[in-house]
Amino acid sequence: MTSNVSETAHALEAGPEGGDTDAVRTLKGDAWRELRRRPLFWLSAVIIAVLVVMAVFPGLFTNTDPREAFLGRTRESPNSDAWFGRDVQGYDLYARVIYGARASILVGVLASVGTALVGSLLGLVAGYTGGWIDALLSRIAEVFFAIPLLLGAIIALTVMRERVSGYFMIVGMVVAILVVFGWPSIFRLMRASVLQVKPNDYVQAARALGASPLRITMNHILPNALGPVIVVSTINLGVFIAVEAALSFLGIGLQPPTVSWGVMISDARTAIRSSPHVLLFPAGMLSVAVLGFIMLGDSVRDAFDPKSR
Amino acid sequence: MTTEALGAQAGAVSGDARLLEVEDLHVEFHTHDGIAKAINGVDLHLDEGETLALLGESGSGKSVTAQAIMGILDMPPAKVPKGQIRYRGKDLLTMPVEQRRQVRGPEISIIFQDALSSLNPVFPVGWQIAEMFRVHRGMNRRDALDAAVGLMQRVQIPAARERVRAFPHQFSGGMRQRIMIAMAIALDPAVLIADEPTTALDVTVQAQIMSLLKELQEERGMGLLLITHDLGVVADVADRIAVMYAGQLVETADVHELYRAPAHPYTKGLIASIPRMDMKGKELYAIKGLPPSLLRLPHGCPFHPRCAWAQDVCRSDHPDLREIVPGRRSRCHFAEEVIDD
Amino acid sequence: MGKYTIRRLLQMIPVIIGATFLLYAMVFAMPGDPTAGMCGQRDCSPVFKAAFNERYNLNDPLPVQYAKYLAGAVQGDLGETRSGVQVIDELGERYGTTLKLGVIALVFEALIGIGAGVLAGLRKGGFMDSLVLVSTLVVISVPIFVIGYVAQIYLGVRLGWFPVTVSFDAGWGELILPGMVLASTSVAYLARLMRSNMAENLRSDYVRTARAKGLSSGRVVGVHTLRNSMIPVVTFLGYDFGALLGGAIITEGIFNIRGVGGYIFDGIHEQDNMAVVGAVTVLVVIYLLANLVVDLLYGVLDPRISHD
Repeated sequence: MTSNVSETAHALEAGPEGGDTDAVRTLKGDAWRELRRRPLFWLSAVIIAVLVVMAVFPGLFTNTDPREAFLGRTRESPNSDAWFGRDVQGYDLYARVIYGARASILVGVLASVGTALVGSLLGLVAGYTGGWIDALLSRIAEVFFAIPLLLGAIIALTVMRERVSGYFMIVGMVVAILVVFGWPSIFRLMRASVLQVKPNDYVQAARALGASPLRITMNHILPNALGPVIVVSTINLGVFIAVEAALSFLGIGLQPPTVSWGVMISDARTAIRSSPHVLLFPAGMLSVAVLGFIMLGDSVRDAFDPKSR
Repeated sequence: MTTEALGAQAGAVSGDARLLEVEDLHVEFHTHDGIAKAINGVDLHLDEGETLALLGESGSGKSVTAQAIMGILDMPPAKVPKGQIRYRGKDLLTMPVEQRRQVRGPEISIIFQDALSSLNPVFPVGWQIAEMFRVHRGMNRRDALDAAVGLMQRVQIPAARERVRAFPHQFSGGMRQRIMIAMAIALDPAVLIADEPTTALDVTVQAQIMSLLKELQEERGMGLLLITHDLGVVADVADRIAVMYAGQLVETADVHELYRAPAHPYTKGLIASIPRMDMKGKELYAIKGLPPSLLRLPHGCPFHPRCAWAQDVCRSDHPDLREIVPGRRSRCHFAEEVIDD
Repeated sequence: MGKYTIRRLLQMIPVIIGATFLLYAMVFAMPGDPTAGMCGQRDCSPVFKAAFNERYNLNDPLPVQYAKYLAGAVQGDLGETRSGVQVIDELGERYGTTLKLGVIALVFEALIGIGAGVLAGLRKGGFMDSLVLVSTLVVISVPIFVIGYVAQIYLGVRLGWFPVTVSFDAGWGELILPGMVLASTSVAYLARLMRSNMAENLRSDYVRTARAKGLSSGRVVGVHTLRNSMIPVVTFLGYDFGALLGGAIITEGIFNIRGVGGYIFDGIHEQDNMAVVGAVTVLVVIYLLANLVVDLLYGVLDPRISHD
């Protein structure tokens, strides 16, 4: 940092004279204040809130049955009866988009939480324990990390799709694949954080005082390591939703009759030239969802990062 | 424009112009939380062959002063609402950008505190020194590199010819600082500003670097502006001292006079804080309190909240920097009492 | 420098073996019937299954299986498609097109991604900066297949600026639109990366020194700052290459391009598992090799790594 700015910043902080408005300034408190100031944060929070409600209570948004097909009215343009029009098989597009939220968001949330849990746990163990356990876990992570997410998912799902059926099994399989290829990035993050915190004096002091490793982890290491993990997991949510859609689009993710945005886009392939709305509405919804999570992750990261103020 | 031409032009304007003169300089920083007044009316002057030490704590404004003279402040958020900085009579602040650029580097140069972060990590050190010659003197690569080797030898870097292609991270702290110095004196500047040059170094290396600077100054007749918070470093090297607090000068004096009898409570406190061998076993003295926030400077004298001599007048009236004895100035209502104490 | 290269090479070998073993295990060691779906709707006949097991060494212990597979793969045996054609031959016909597509995408990435990023980073908070931030956010959020279709409809069909489908032996001109689509997400990420790198480096101490040396703005930015900002870009490009490969599958599918990606795309639809597995495995290995090259390049660019 150039010294004039940092010197000035230091001078801004010091000094009882002239009044000190904020009694205690913690990093979290600062970050929350920064976050509150950003319009993008609020925008993304609203988007996500709406989407979550849509996923849990689709009935609030529409009364139409997404599985009710009007075969005589396929590819209908948006009208007063069907706000988004109808798709290739005559389903009400609006209803399907609303109900599709559940599958897409479910996969995203489960995959994100899964990678966060698996990656964090293994990263904690590797970073804290060190030695051969760390070496082993790191090598394993490297191997999984070496395979790009989409490519790995394609191979796995192509092979597995014939062997698995049923809504929950398929969702579980997709989530599992995403976690299998997604955990290394969180692993690295957590491990790096632990390695950064461990040699600090206050951790050594805690150990000397006889604190158990669990206690040290919970009180000292986790609070510092959690920040980046949360940021990346939030962004990952958006990425996973997009990847699920891509897999569905290719035909190896969720399958009909499951309603998901990816499936809808895949179904729309034959109709794009004549009735683009069949593609554009689910695509738009999907984009908004991904946008929401990425914006949220970005905002949180910027709020935590003192340099970007 | 070459040094001679610039000097001649300056000479034509005012024949006896000082080498460097700062007059009533004000610098502000416009931030989210308000306007921070980093410098509030500073006057300085520097002549050839002279060493002026600018002393102060973090946040006193000394580095900002240096950067304002160099012209490398980020101009938002920084702003210079008032003041002049004259080099050989010409005001640098109102000079056109191109001209300013030719003064910065060839005429007035600076070395910084942390040589590791101040040198570009991806270019060899010889390349970085030679850049001065390539850019400002139009030399070709080979000649410039040769000149760089010569400079490295002058600042006593062993095996200069082999190490000219090495990278900054491959040198020790003291060596890196010497490289910075070599880069700064490459084009024989008339003014060298050293911003805390030894703060990041070991004590023995500190001494070496300071004596190198002194040597180079005498050799080349440079004016040296030494910026530091360390009173120990200053005593050997400086001719005059200016003490800064809260963006203003609070005392200026000849170096020996200042040490013998400081004329401002703050200076007195600084001198008393130096640990001394004959104080063994006794508690160390520290000035109580903290420097004020530049966003909300106190009324009256900026030092009064921490001052043992503070009276009512100090809380209400801002003291001027006045000459209490010829050659000595102090910004204190009770300077005479402080001197005699 | 040599030490660094050797170290990276040695590190890469176990990773390549590990990754290919992982893929192999996923394909052949998962629970369930490996011949599922190969004989239409019904289960395959026992004769078929026996022949399949023999062909792919499925009766051997897993490590032996893998070793035999690896030995075969190195010599070009990646299995056969449903119609009995060698996968390696089919790939051989198609890689040229995908290569062209990739080159076009990389050129776009370099020009627009780096260019926009630098411009945005130079004036953080300015108009260009906001423009880049918003547009990249949108591009990242919209999935590549949507961008592909939208581009195809609006730029291809409606406006007629670009050819809509690509001929059998695609020429460079036909691949421009698909190339741009393929590059889109990467351009967005790259622009953001460049932007934040530039902004951060412009505030660094060594840039302050460069200015203090009286260097022109052009030189300070173009020589000193840029060189430092490019280092993380190289790492990003290596990682992004994987996304590019995945994206190629989708892009070639949408634009009907007869390349490796299109081959995989069709293979998925026709449920030709061996074709898909063989082709994707090749892509993964290429990705790993590309990352090795990137790692070595990184050592060249950052003297703190190579000159230890």
